[in-house]
Amino acid sequence: MTDHPKYYAGVDVGSVSIKAVLIGADRIMASEMMASGGNYRDAAQKVLEGVLSKAGVAADRLSGIVVTGLGAESVPFAARQVSDISCQTMGCHCLFPSARTVIDIGGQFTKAAKISPQGRVADFLMSEKCATGSGRFLQVIARILQVSLEEIGPLSLKSRNPVEFSTNCAVFAESETVSRIAEGARAEDILAGVHRAMASKVAMLLKRLKIEPDVVLTGGGGQDEGLVLAVSDALGVKVLVPEQPRLSAAFGAACLAKGGKF
Amino acid sequence: MPFAGIDIGSTMTKVVIVDENETTLASVIGPTGVEHRHLALEVMDEAIGRSGLSYEALDFIVATGYGRMNVPFADKQITEITCHARGIRAIFPTVRIIIDIGGQDSKGIKIDAAGKVANFVMNDKCAAGTGRFLEVIAETLGVKLADMGDVSLAAKGYVKISNTCTVFAEHEVTSRLAEGATIPEIVAGLHESIAGRVVNMVRHLGIEKDVVVTGGGAKDVGLIKAIEEKVGFTVRIPPEPFITGALGAALLGKGFVERGITRDHERRLEGVTFFR
Repeated sequence: MTDHPKYYAGVDVGSVSIKAVLIGADRIMASEMMASGGNYRDAAQKVLEGVLSKAGVAADRLSGIVVTGLGAESVPFAARQVSDISCQTMGCHCLFPSARTVIDIGGQFTKAAKISPQGRVADFLMSEKCATGSGRFLQVIARILQVSLEEIGPLSLKSRNPVEFSTNCAVFAESETVSRIAEGARAEDILAGVHRAMASKVAMLLKRLKIEPDVVLTGGGGQDEGLVLAVSDALGVKVLVPEQPRLSAAFGAACLAKGGKF
Repeated sequence: MPFAGIDIGSTMTKVVIVDENETTLASVIGPTGVEHRHLALEVMDEAIGRSGLSYEALDFIVATGYGRMNVPFADKQITEITCHARGIRAIFPTVRIIIDIGGQDSKGIKIDAAGKVANFVMNDKCAAGTGRFLEVIAETLGVKLADMGDVSLAAKGYVKISNTCTVFAEHEVTSRLAEGATIPEIVAGLHESIAGRVVNMVRHLGIEKDVVVTGGGAKDVGLIKAIEEKVGFTVRIPPEPFITGALGAALLGKGFVERGITRDHERRLEGVTFFR
């Protein structure tokens, strides 16, 4: 009998998108991401099948699956459930062993955790009270500016004269944006202003956590270069970003399925 | 001797002109306008027209509200806190607490027995607990802002809205609708939420009878009912809840003239522009 290689999967069932990552002995075999579309069950099954078929691995060869995220309970297959923050922390630890803090900026929530040298959650905070610290703020402003979410980061980086909002409330900033556009403000300057406002809110949240470097930024926010720069400026530290910032929790889930290592 | 008060709010501009007997000669409410804030000036012109007077005939003009600076024809600028307190003293002398729910802020003002401002609290940092919150959600629900009160009163119960943030509450409301909650239950839930937030803020002042509610929020019977449930007694509502600040401004102007206090600066009517 030869030893078959072992495979582990992590599935992150989020409210907006569902992600799966498949890992082998020492590498990422495949990843998949799709819109949740209101049916966590089917979407979770599909992403798992997706990574297995991409990697050419049969379902019965999986040695372990960990699911996480808001809809983790609705997956149709047998899997261990772990909180998203534990998965995020483990994912960051496996990608960047020097990471001690992770900031996850999602569509609705911003979460921050301290990472122990073993990749466990040492402390944890979440902002769910105010849209200013979340990706929602950007979505609202991008809609007014008619800028797609992918364009936000590159545009913001072009700004030479970021708009200073007189308010830190996303709702008031929305009407201020309309006035600023009427006054002739440029889209890049408005976006850079939004990035600054968000970053200052995130920095306020992190102050309570007493951050330690290295800091990793994950979630949709990690894909936005303008936001990454603003957060890095506001915190005064360099911010690391995974290659696929939205997949880091699913990746961490796979690492946890493997016993907390990669 | 006529005196004018102009209260330039974030949403509405209010002008009141009174004579030396404190009788109202004209009272006009109009939009401040988002991009065309010169509409505030039209409200002033309208009030002057209705009173049959001219700018020159006005013995004193006091400007108040968020847009009170840069009103070139005003003789003095006074904060809306002082003006509201003065206006309310004229309408309801027994009031000790004013809850003002405006378009972009909400405040609580405590008045002492002599009618002076003893303390105040204010939220202008966040749309929660302001008229803006109601406006945004009304639009999401497809309910006219003016109908929110009646819709709320028609509810048999209310759906708890747990998000204070307007942006998140908008999302929550959509989810509750999808789950089958009725619009009246949701509107009643929103009123419950705003009333809770505003009353909690005003509690820092120590709530004492009588309480008056002013501003656009006072026009919403559903919100008033929710506030009354929180404070535990009936609150007073002025006959015209929008104009208490402008009335107070006009009355303060009368007081200045009576005490021989002169204008801060010369009036300028040429090329009048606001917010420049």
